[in-house]
Amino acid sequence: MILLQRALVAELTGPAVDVRKVRDSLQQAIALEHATIPPYLYALYSLAPGRNVEIAQIIQSVVLEEMLHMTLSSNVLNALGGTPRLDAPDFIPTYPGPLPGGVESDLMVHLAPFSMPQLQTFLKIEEPEHPLNFKAGLTAEETITIGQFYTAISDAIARLGNAAFVHPPRNQVGPDVMPNAIVVTDVATAQQAIKTIIDQGEGTSTSPDAGVGGGYAHYYRFMQIQKQRLLVATPGGVQPELDYAYQGAAVPFDPTGVYAAPTDPGAAPGYPAGSAQAFANDNFNYAYTCLLKALQALFSRDPGQQQFDRTLGLMMSLKGQAKAMMSGSPNPAVITGPSFQYQPTNPS
Amino acid sequence: MSYLNALRLHFAGEFQANVSTVNNDPAHFHNAAFQSSYQLMQGDGMTPPNGWFNPEGDASFRLLGCRVTGAWTAAGAAAPSDPVFSCAIADSDVRVPAKLVDLDSEQQLVSEIWGLEVRIANARGETLVRGDFAPAAFADIWDRATGGGDGDIGAGATYQSVLQNLQWADVSASPVLSALRAAAGDGLLSIKFNFDGLNMDFKSPKFMCGRIVGTIGSATSSEPKHLVVGRQFMAQAAAGGNFFTPVGGINFCTAVVDAAAERIYLDLGNALSTASPGGPINNLGDLEVTVLVPAATPGGSGAKPVALGKIPATGAGGYVSDSDWYARSAGVVVLPLTAAQVQLAATAPLSITGAGTARIAEWTSGAFVRADRFVFRMSPGDRARIPVYAMQWGRPLSGVDVAVAFDPSQLQQTLSAPPYVGAGPTVAAPTAALAFSATVRTDGDGVALVDVLAGDPGTPRWFNGGADYGIDGQVYGVRPTFADTRTYSGPDNQWNFISFLIWSGFAPSTPPTWTDIQPILQQYANLYPVMNRFLNLADFDSVVGHGDLLRLAFGLDPADPNSMPVTRDLSPAKRDAILAWLKNPLAGPVPAPKPRLALEAAAVAPLIAGPPPPRGGKAAAAARRLILQVGRGAAS
Repeated sequence: MILLQRALVAELTGPAVDVRKVRDSLQQAIALEHATIPPYLYALYSLAPGRNVEIAQIIQSVVLEEMLHMTLSSNVLNALGGTPRLDAPDFIPTYPGPLPGGVESDLMVHLAPFSMPQLQTFLKIEEPEHPLNFKAGLTAEETITIGQFYTAISDAIARLGNAAFVHPPRNQVGPDVMPNAIVVTDVATAQQAIKTIIDQGEGTSTSPDAGVGGGYAHYYRFMQIQKQRLLVATPGGVQPELDYAYQGAAVPFDPTGVYAAPTDPGAAPGYPAGSAQAFANDNFNYAYTCLLKALQALFSRDPGQQQFDRTLGLMMSLKGQAKAMMSGSPNPAVITGPSFQYQPTNPS
Repeated sequence: MSYLNALRLHFAGEFQANVSTVNNDPAHFHNAAFQSSYQLMQGDGMTPPNGWFNPEGDASFRLLGCRVTGAWTAAGAAAPSDPVFSCAIADSDVRVPAKLVDLDSEQQLVSEIWGLEVRIANARGETLVRGDFAPAAFADIWDRATGGGDGDIGAGATYQSVLQNLQWADVSASPVLSALRAAAGDGLLSIKFNFDGLNMDFKSPKFMCGRIVGTIGSATSSEPKHLVVGRQFMAQAAAGGNFFTPVGGINFCTAVVDAAAERIYLDLGNALSTASPGGPINNLGDLEVTVLVPAATPGGSGAKPVALGKIPATGAGGYVSDSDWYARSAGVVVLPLTAAQVQLAATAPLSITGAGTARIAEWTSGAFVRADRFVFRMSPGDRARIPVYAMQWGRPLSGVDVAVAFDPSQLQQTLSAPPYVGAGPTVAAPTAALAFSATVRTDGDGVALVDVLAGDPGTPRWFNGGADYGIDGQVYGVRPTFADTRTYSGPDNQWNFISFLIWSGFAPSTPPTWTDIQPILQQYANLYPVMNRFLNLADFDSVVGHGDLLRLAFGLDPADPNSMPVTRDLSPAKRDAILAWLKNPLAGPVPAPKPRLALEAAAVAPLIAGPPPPRGGKAAAAARRLILQVGRGAAS
């Protein structure tokens, strides 16, 4: 379970809620959702085509929902009169490093090819709330879980009331453009959007089912890799824990089907200037920055299908580039991992 | 106006053209004979038969590290304090990279850039103006480097187009950009750039990159987009070489005489050879621009050369001695003229001469004719009206007849000989599938409109006697020339013709099934290994599983950089069939063949222990042009 600084929600409590503080928290939520995507993608890209297919499908399904969560948070923020901010150098966390708003000593997130140790990081990010997991040296009063963070936002929005929502709705990415997106216009739709984020991430208190979008909550999806078996329903149990079991089809892990990409390629000293790695990484980072700019436009100006399609095209381009880099194309002697750094010019 | 004018900025840097090369061999389009080794990086001797020098290429075209190197207005050089000098010329920061695309495997010498957005950005990468580069093909490819590598590596070529859909930010801090904005009343800028020094070493960090220098200036909607109405210097062809070698050592180039400003603007950006690929400019001596003043009596002797100006090779600012000259000027030279010189130049041919035999000149008539856009893709029943521009002494030439005729001589039909795995299909037939005006006359603006009607060529490029799926449609070459060859004659530019890809008619079953679609997608899966990063296009389940993304990509306008296929060689009829099928993916009555790649092992018989690999796809294509085969008696 990842722990966030309680300060993130300190100003959301109390009867008089400042809408600006709620907007700040939603911006924090967007940054947090985004921050999980590079490590997940890095692991996903590192899986060679046709190998570890089940693991790839699981990671991909989680990444897609993290993108949905960014969208939902952006919709809520826009509905409250705010503007998401993605096109900025400090929007991307440093890898290795803590997630935005996270407790630094809690979890260092790395960009690394898929491995069982890296899976532990993913499990930790997605682990549902459990008080026994609090670390020594940190009291519960200083930290909150991601679920508590979103719940605090949701509660604050309820106290703001419908009057806080702008009309007509602005910059809403709807379900016609992105499946399962929710157009946010009032407290009810905002809370529905936030509940979707919580449920998909953590599941409900009684079931690993995510609700919206189908499938299990992220933690249980990743646990299938850990247990090397799909999670299946085992009806008839007397308590939730007995209604499901990791007894489905095998989820095998073949370490030879993982590209030998470096860990944390952006950490100093980085790729040597003028190297083939730096060249490929620059192209990738420029495209990644393009994606942030395109998402910025999607979430702040142009939430339509055409702009959404542009972002999809950029995501496909990133995938193609990363696959080439990690697989050693064109030169098998040169393996490169993308560093996911902000780079508005090419070369940097 | 155009880029070749007082108001302009120059830039220099690098480009990347990450083209794929499996499709360089037309025989690779034969699905039934495709072998998995055709997707491998080439090895020594092209054995086993492989995918040439960049099989994994994704066709991306990028501008890399391009900086503004020079800036001029009618008042002269821009002040060094103009912030334009800290600007970059960059590609899009909100879309995927542009694509570099051949017209066809049998016409690879007009590669077009599609989906390129060009930006002028400040030092922080913030966009000051952005515009869409109207898709354009390269022109005037030649053997530019005289040492250090030939073939594609040693080639140079040029692109000219316009930037449209301009979006300006606040450029008031820059006098040059402000002037450009003020001059862009028609919403256009003119852009021209030169490529050379392509790096083909896949172990180099600069693989598939090369040098680019270029110029951006103003444009109006009444001008051609890809051509300057100016003075056209015409090179005589020398024998041999890969692409084109000018007898006088100077390649085709253009000048504009500005009578009012009393200046001549001369673009030598793709005209001067280099010592090595992308290297320093060769020393041709001081280049003298001369006007050949005719004799007092027409036809009489005594024509007299009058010097207009000199471009020094050495000394301060010399094109050889100043190592920054090319980057700073993009090869554009401005010479002041006197009023008398302007008058002499108005109706007499210009020439450029250097040391020894270095020389290039206008035709004695000062005339020139060329289509503006010269690459077309058409479906059966499509019509096109193609503007052809005639000019004389740099001005529109009205009321002249332009003859238009088939000329397949530069198309690239493959013989069955290494490194090719088989013979390529016949090009340019049947001619009945392309009808056009045989003679057209220029209007008051010097423009003649060639009406073209595409028919259905059938499937002349299928393999195995027409039984096996092959290359779609047919390629044709059509050349406009002056009808009156007595009055208007001189060295021709072999590249000045119009290339057509006329697609085959296509009538799938209704509704279309995988039986109709599989051969189309199998061919893309074969030719573009890059697709394996995303899906197996030859596999029913994989394609259906990626239906949403494919519907998106196949549904985009070809000008969109995300459009599939990247190669822009899919007919609208087949595109419509694919889109219809993706909505309702039926298996079909005939069991589709299994995906070939899954079947093939690496156990492929070596082609031969043959000659060393060709030096690039363009050079290989140029070597199999019909005009050369006729010389060898290999084609009629």
